[in-house]
Amino acid sequence: MNKILFFIILIFSLTTVSQNNENIFGSFESNSQLLQDDNTLNFTSPDDNFRANNYFQLNYNIGNISTGIQYESYLPSAMLGYYPQYNGENGIASYFMNIKRNKIDITLGYFYGQFGNGLIYRSWENRQLGINNAIKGIKFKYKFSESFNLTTIYGQQRNGFELNESTIQGIDSNLSLNKFLNFEKTDLTISASYVGRYQNNSTNDLIPANVKSLGARVDLYSGRFSLNLEGIIKDSDVIANEGVILSDKLYDGTALQLDLGYSKKGLGLNTTFRRLENFNFYSDRLAEGNIYNQQTISYTPALTKQQDYLLTNIYVYSAQPRLVINALENRSGEVGSQTDFYYTFKKDSFLGKYKSKIAVNFSYWAAIESNFNQDQSYDVEFIGDGNRYYRDFNFELKNRWNNKFNTTITMLDVIIDKGVALGGPLGVQGDIKAKVGVFEGTYRYENGKSSRAVIQHLWTKDDKKNWAGLVYEYNFSTSLNVFVADGWNYGGTDKIHYYNFGGSYSKDNIRLSLNYGRQRGGLICVGGVCRYVPENTGLNLNLNLVF
Amino acid sequence: MKKLFTSIAFIFSISVNSQSTLPNISLNSLDGNEINIQAISDNDKIAVVSLWATWCVPCIKELDAISEYYEEWKEEVNFDLYAISTDDSRTIKRVNAMVNGKGWEYTILLDSNNELQRALGASTIPLTLIVKNNKIVYRHSGYSAGVEFELFDKIKELK
Repeated sequence: MNKILFFIILIFSLTTVSQNNENIFGSFESNSQLLQDDNTLNFTSPDDNFRANNYFQLNYNIGNISTGIQYESYLPSAMLGYYPQYNGENGIASYFMNIKRNKIDITLGYFYGQFGNGLIYRSWENRQLGINNAIKGIKFKYKFSESFNLTTIYGQQRNGFELNESTIQGIDSNLSLNKFLNFEKTDLTISASYVGRYQNNSTNDLIPANVKSLGARVDLYSGRFSLNLEGIIKDSDVIANEGVILSDKLYDGTALQLDLGYSKKGLGLNTTFRRLENFNFYSDRLAEGNIYNQQTISYTPALTKQQDYLLTNIYVYSAQPRLVINALENRSGEVGSQTDFYYTFKKDSFLGKYKSKIAVNFSYWAAIESNFNQDQSYDVEFIGDGNRYYRDFNFELKNRWNNKFNTTITMLDVIIDKGVALGGPLGVQGDIKAKVGVFEGTYRYENGKSSRAVIQHLWTKDDKKNWAGLVYEYNFSTSLNVFVADGWNYGGTDKIHYYNFGGSYSKDNIRLSLNYGRQRGGLICVGGVCRYVPENTGLNLNLNLVF
Repeated sequence: MKKLFTSIAFIFSISVNSQSTLPNISLNSLDGNEINIQAISDNDKIAVVSLWATWCVPCIKELDAISEYYEEWKEEVNFDLYAISTDDSRTIKRVNAMVNGKGWEYTILLDSNNELQRALGASTIPLTLIVKNNKIVYRHSGYSAGVEFELFDKIKELK
């Protein structure tokens, strides 16, 4: 409460000082659900069947100074599937003050940020995923010249409404070589970064108190080509599983990522190779591999194409960067690549009168081939022939037929390891092979009215067998819409309908959406990071206000 | 709790000059140049700001839809569209491939740390703004077919 008063006083004192070049703004977001029993799903609603996550954010800017505060409440309980530490809690979750002046950019309080691809360090917020791993401390960025800048971070990472006891330090430096090499149309930057964690090891000297990662990057853009290479080595550390350190044995980790791109107008090609061996970094060594994605320092999202339709996101990949050595499974990390291809056809091509667009994506991810020895050490190949975790080939074709009517056809061919998709040890339970086809059509009437229909089907002989899906959405205007949707697992034993209906209203500073129905259990993914949501039935309300 | 609500009500009452301007944030373009977003709409220029991501289907629909008319509309009214990607920096490369492959002519900026997205209180994307002299004059989130025409009508009103 004192913090709130502090901020109000601060804001007022600043307001009275100057009326120029200042503004106050903020936002309020409320996501709530009312759960109910559903015998068909075997879902018994918990006693606290009303759950809500609320976020209230207030910012004040004056000149080069900006301040902000965020209040969060998870009352009476956090929504289903969120980090349990939030349950029943509320309070000021974060606050900051930032000053930008000439070459200096300094943030005190809670800050977000990332170095390079985020592999070595990323703190970020995503409310849908329940992730907020801001660091409380100081972030200092100094621009020595147009060619050279340096960022340092120091602080403790947020964990729920508390802070982890460990301290995180980091440095990132970027040097642009254009000036020295007299490049005009080419942009070449080299970077180096360091991130370290100090965590008390009590009396166990075998566990390192200091663990650091060192990384280097090269970024090259030259006309139509781009290249980005990042390599990281991480100090030896113990490995933990479900909050328990299994032995005093230490293992180091590495990450390597290479991106190559070529693009010109109408054509884009990009391919990424990534190898992660025992590469994950948490602000608490015991948090390793936690299913809620909490307390992470490194950011290792799945590099696959994220799908958005009802049935295309049933079998989704999540990255497997961990070293796991136990009685059930032995694995040392993942290696693989993905390629994206985008192409826009000329007018009046064989595909249609207007410019048709295609997007193709291929990805393959597997275990790094490793041999595990009696003494819990392992020998590892650079790539080798490890168990396949995921293979996806997908294709999307967009067509406009006239001023009113658009279609999109999407096809997916997926193979996913059962352990990755459903849980349990990886690489030993067999695969799920599935094909999905989606047809979407949008018809636009006058005055912002439109209809959108999606028909989809998933074919598989594995897991829960075939699915059919249907979505219909009607827009009364560009502000108001209603929808009905059904994902029908007609091939499954219970032939369950996962129905949903609702609507949303969005105008100016308000967005409100309401829906009722069944949530299929599984992963909800945003940008390659996934959260598991259990099956449930109920009413959901989302409100977003900006002022 | 009661105190909190009082403070919130209090703040609401004083926030008469609500979020009507873009914050002082600099974003990188794809080739690494820094652009301050307060400068994109100075001297009466009209700027459309669209927050999107490579994984956001409605965002891509909106940008695809606008791209069909972009040249035509720009001939009629002088404005620029800044498509600000909220993808994290791992997808910078996918952004470039997608933008070119789709033939988009927008200025692409990267909000890799979601600094702008947070400052605008945009919990969901797409979020589309029209800005003139750094004043936000129109705000819309979500996409439905035809919203691009509403957007262009608003742009014409500002001409």
